[in-house]
Amino acid sequence: MSSEPTVFDVELLLPHGERSIRVGREEHIWDAAFAAGVVLPALCHQGRCLTCAARLEGPGEVDQSDSVSYYPEDREAGFVLLCTGKPGTSLRVRTHQAHEMREHRRQNRLPAPYS
Amino acid sequence: MPEKDKQVVKYGDVTQRVGVEVIRARGVDVEKLIKMLVANAAAEFASTYYYYTILRMHLAGHEDYKEICEDARLEDRAHWELIVPRIYELGGELPNDLKEFHDQAGCVAAKLPNPPTAVNILTLLLESERCAIRSWIAICDMTFGKDPRTYDMASRILNEEIEHEAWFIELLAHERDGKSIPSGHFRRGEPGHAPYSKNAGFYNP
Repeated sequence: MSSEPTVFDVELLLPHGERSIRVGREEHIWDAAFAAGVVLPALCHQGRCLTCAARLEGPGEVDQSDSVSYYPEDREAGFVLLCTGKPGTSLRVRTHQAHEMREHRRQNRLPAPYS
Repeated sequence: MPEKDKQVVKYGDVTQRVGVEVIRARGVDVEKLIKMLVANAAAEFASTYYYYTILRMHLAGHEDYKEICEDARLEDRAHWELIVPRIYELGGELPNDLKEFHDQAGCVAAKLPNPPTAVNILTLLLESERCAIRSWIAICDMTFGKDPRTYDMASRILNEEIEHEAWFIELLAHERDGKSIPSGHFRRGEPGHAPYSKNAGFYNP
């Protein structure tokens, strides 16, 4: 029997405060936040448009395999896409980072929709 | 027109547009709106119209699905044609590079799935339409009560995207699940009829 945790604590650093939610390993963070009453920005829900972008504050793993457009440079810079990201560890993330992630993409000559 | 709107654009000045300044004065972030319209134009043209052309080629043996895919394809092209003039009217422009334009798309490119089964293609079509709905309702929200011209265009396109989603729900439910979930409105006068975005007559016998 596996002892790996299946649910993680995710601390959301929102523009007007903090909120802690529990997110399953197979659950998208955005969906769990929504279920907990926190409506985060999002448009495509495909991991493409960057509207749901957030940034890790500290260490943590996010599975972005459901995102259609996610690059190693994004991971290195700590950016994550909450609408298609699943936690691999407990996390602390700063939400509402679309502008910052688009700027990061432009600087790295990567697709930056809505920029 | 409020006095401040009249004062922004000087008499005979061709470097500014009253048609832009009046919506800015009403609270529209025009630069953001232009970016959103370019992203949506890219999604209509590069993410869907172009790739739907390929998808329909792989629906052989499902002529009904192919025909519906063709309607969605041509209506997405109509949307692209409708959006572009508005981008330029607002003072924006399209990137002079097709890859750069493609990369602005806010929705995933509807590339032929592997394997290209009818279920996989219909699933892709459905999710593409859902992304379009989310993208257009964001523009409706942004312009409602402030920019009637963009709002009217966006709501016309949204109407058709909502119909497209219903079509593909009906077809996918039938093909994949053996279920009947009627869309309620399949009929088009001709391929790409686009009753909302071309201001054509509705099917209303």
